[in-house]
Amino acid sequence: MFERRLYFHVDWAMLGAILALCLIGVVQIYSATGGSSLYVTQMYGIAIGLVALVVCLTIDYRSLADKSHFIYLGVIALLVFVLFFGVVRGGSRRWIDLGSFNLQPSEFAKAAIALALAKYFGESRRGAVVPSDLVIAGAITFVPFLVIYQQPDLGTAATLLPIVFIVAFAAGMPMRIFGILALVGLMAAPIAWKFALKDYQKERVSTFLDPEADARGAGYQQLQARITTGSGGPWGKGFQKGTQGQLRFLPVAHNDFIFSAFAEEHGFAGVFVALGLYLFVILRAIESAQLAKDRLGAYLVLGVLASFTFQVLYNIMMSAGLAPVKGLTLPLMSYGGSSMIATLAGFGLILNVRMRRFTN
Amino acid sequence: MVLQVTVIVAFAALGISFWVLQIVQHAKYQEMAENNHQRTLALRAPRGILFDRHGKVLVENRHSFTISILREHSKDLDQTARLLAKVAGLDLKEVQEIIERHRGEPSYRPIVVVEDATLAQVAAITARRLDFELPDVRVEEVPARKYPEQLAAHLFGYVGQVSDAQVASNPDLKSGDIAGQSGIEKIYNADLKGADGARVVVVNSMGREISVLQEDRPTEGKRMQLTIDYDVQRATEQAFNAVSEAGLTNAGAAVVLDPRTGEVLAFTSRPTYDPNAFAAGIDRSTWASLNSDEQRPLNNRATQGRYSPGSTFKMAVGLAGLEEDVIDPNFHVHCGGGANFYGRFFKCWKKGGHGSVDLKTAIAQSCDVYFYTVANMLGVDRINKWATLLGLGVKSGIDLPNEVTGLVPSTKWKQEVRREKWYAGETISVGIGQGAVSVTPVSMAVYMATIANGGTRVTPHLVKAMDDGKGEGWKAVPGPPPQSKFDITPEKLQAIRDGMWMVVNGSGTGGRARVAGKDIAGKTGTAQVISNQGRAAARGKRDLRDNGWFAFFAPRDNPQIAGIVFLEHGMHGPNAASVAHHILDTFFAKQDGRPLPPAPKPEELRFDFSDSAGDSGPRDYPDPPAIPADDAGPVEPQREIALLERPVAPGRAATMPAR
Repeated sequence: MFERRLYFHVDWAMLGAILALCLIGVVQIYSATGGSSLYVTQMYGIAIGLVALVVCLTIDYRSLADKSHFIYLGVIALLVFVLFFGVVRGGSRRWIDLGSFNLQPSEFAKAAIALALAKYFGESRRGAVVPSDLVIAGAITFVPFLVIYQQPDLGTAATLLPIVFIVAFAAGMPMRIFGILALVGLMAAPIAWKFALKDYQKERVSTFLDPEADARGAGYQQLQARITTGSGGPWGKGFQKGTQGQLRFLPVAHNDFIFSAFAEEHGFAGVFVALGLYLFVILRAIESAQLAKDRLGAYLVLGVLASFTFQVLYNIMMSAGLAPVKGLTLPLMSYGGSSMIATLAGFGLILNVRMRRFTN
Repeated sequence: MVLQVTVIVAFAALGISFWVLQIVQHAKYQEMAENNHQRTLALRAPRGILFDRHGKVLVENRHSFTISILREHSKDLDQTARLLAKVAGLDLKEVQEIIERHRGEPSYRPIVVVEDATLAQVAAITARRLDFELPDVRVEEVPARKYPEQLAAHLFGYVGQVSDAQVASNPDLKSGDIAGQSGIEKIYNADLKGADGARVVVVNSMGREISVLQEDRPTEGKRMQLTIDYDVQRATEQAFNAVSEAGLTNAGAAVVLDPRTGEVLAFTSRPTYDPNAFAAGIDRSTWASLNSDEQRPLNNRATQGRYSPGSTFKMAVGLAGLEEDVIDPNFHVHCGGGANFYGRFFKCWKKGGHGSVDLKTAIAQSCDVYFYTVANMLGVDRINKWATLLGLGVKSGIDLPNEVTGLVPSTKWKQEVRREKWYAGETISVGIGQGAVSVTPVSMAVYMATIANGGTRVTPHLVKAMDDGKGEGWKAVPGPPPQSKFDITPEKLQAIRDGMWMVVNGSGTGGRARVAGKDIAGKTGTAQVISNQGRAAARGKRDLRDNGWFAFFAPRDNPQIAGIVFLEHGMHGPNAASVAHHILDTFFAKQDGRPLPPAPKPEELRFDFSDSAGDSGPRDYPDPPAIPADDAGPVEPQREIALLERPVAPGRAATMPAR
């Protein structure tokens, strides 16, 4: 299954950038949690994630794609299980208690959907995307979306949407359909506002529009994120010297707001480096998609990359106080085992496609 | 390609956003971050300590706790108020009122809710703070004023939070400051208050202090050495306590000076109050009771009370007669128990009369007819001139707030104030310190000092030296210059002094003030507060008992102490002499190194409670007779009561209770 020569086609540069980001994350977690053992847990997560990466790298992505419906159904089953038997934390039911750690199946839904969509569009014999394709692709995405939304976890559910859009786009979906969807989305917004969004979600959106109006309530985090980032200045306050993160003015500085805390302690210089690493990883991945020897591979890479990129962009915007606060972590840096394992496994798939670009 | 470009553009946009936040707007967010985690706490400076002239501590500081709300940390101010009221056992309404009063202030300024909190309150709140239930409530240790003994309350005054009006009028004060509100605390507030310090601390998002970034220690206020002699002061208080315990009166005043310099050795006003009650914010009920008390304990009777001096005024009349060469010490008057002036009969207090008396005897026996006669010969304006030079009817200039001016009438005064002509008949009662004459106790002390030192109207003052804590030690504060100075012809002065000596040491009315071997000179005064006519009308409505005075200096030759004791409704001048005796006895015992006399027991002071005429000044002020037809001047209006016609400023309690 794994031929020695494939070793030479592994994208070491991207892997190096990924590991560098993981390391920055660990250091920042250490700083933000004041020497608690969370950073060790994170390193375990990275180690397991690297094992998952190797596993996803080793098995030919085409074999994986053949099994994609099993993987997809398995993840759906886990998500449904969570809905009934999951652990409740912070008002939502997202985790399966596995004793020593908690598993968050929704993180794995991204890769599963990417795989399933890649297989569906990749094996399509038609040259163009027809409306029925969109309906099926939409259904593949919508089922886990709905289940995750019920947890409730709108943030993670939202990261599934870029997958279907990007894959459908790459598969040749006409731009006008995006236009129509955007239009429908706009028209649906007031209805969604009225019926679909929960009060706290509405509050977050309205707070985003005017954070200082409610500086003690929901706007607090957003304002603090901006202060944290802005006060970092060009060179930062130094390792463990960030006042906003260290003194807990900024909540979850090791998790959702890790990038703010990083920006505070390492300044614009640090931000420049981290943004560069993320950009490098994403551009390398896009290149992998272009190099892929088949459509399946290209779609798989883009699907995995879509949710990753969306999450990175959104979280960093949020870290700068430029987007409404959502419970979205920053992949590769934020604290969280499931996210780390799922993300690294996803990069395993991307490396897999690139590595096998010459094989038959 | 589309994807690459999109991603690059997105990252470029992010990069620019961070550049704007971290480079362009850095200063703004830097400041906001500092405001977040840095808290500047004012450290209240301890006020300067007050010492007596021999270094005994009179007023010091103690530790107290204040509980305040930091609004900028409040998520829900109402909730905080409710919880705070519950935990500290406060009335919720009051807490809300306090918050409401300070709502307009900047939110970083703490709102003080409890001054001088009890240890139970501090413990309860600290526990809640640890549970993060009251992150916006702060407990602070601050210095508070401590007055160790019930001593000279009106002299020291009291401190309190500055009012809005004070903040507006004084740029050195800010809301929440503690400042002197009366007495020395007020007059010397700028010296005593010191400079508050500040501590910049790092707090976390729960408001808990993590570390101290910077600390400027507060500078203690200047230490002051007062002119007060603790032992003389305490003796004064002891004697007044005995007066109260004896049931004679609770009200009065005493001022004791060094006649050579004007240094105040002792100063009291009764009834007194406990300045400690103000030290860390006075509670409402205490304030209300102090203000509604008919005897007005907050009123400083020594500087703000105006009373008829009665017979103590006679030296001024005698000296005016001598200095104007109207009489000489050998001038004799026959007293047959009264005399006629302008068709009216003016009685002497002694029914049978004193017979033929000279100046000394007239002073010693307090003969009214003698001074009616001299006053009539002088006319009111010459009496006014000399009384003023002796310190009466003018401000003493003492360094205490809101001193009022007494009154020694003159034709000019009557024309200006009453728009009436002065009638010669009015001068007669002025001769014995009744009529329109009114004086403050402190001006009486100056009067005595001026007679004692031979004509220098010294300015009473309270501060001997200050130490600003810069290591240079005590620096003497020069005394204020005298208000006026004239040289009394020695033999004339001696006549007055001899008369006063006889009051105490001869057959006079002030025998109770005698201190063996010390040549005390003095003069009693018993001043009516109402005429005989008015007495009938007002009987039972208010205290109509006479006021008692004793003015003194000692020793007669080369005096070292001079002063006044005033007993409001003390009935007789000799009762005041008993009080003065304990003061003088203590003063000389200390000077001679004898053991100080113990606090007098009420019965030892032999107070005279009798309602009958005693051995002192005029007991019965003459009822106004019918206006004689041949009166030279225009028709004199009925002068009912001496006292009621005195100008009494509204709001000031003189002898007059609430009208």
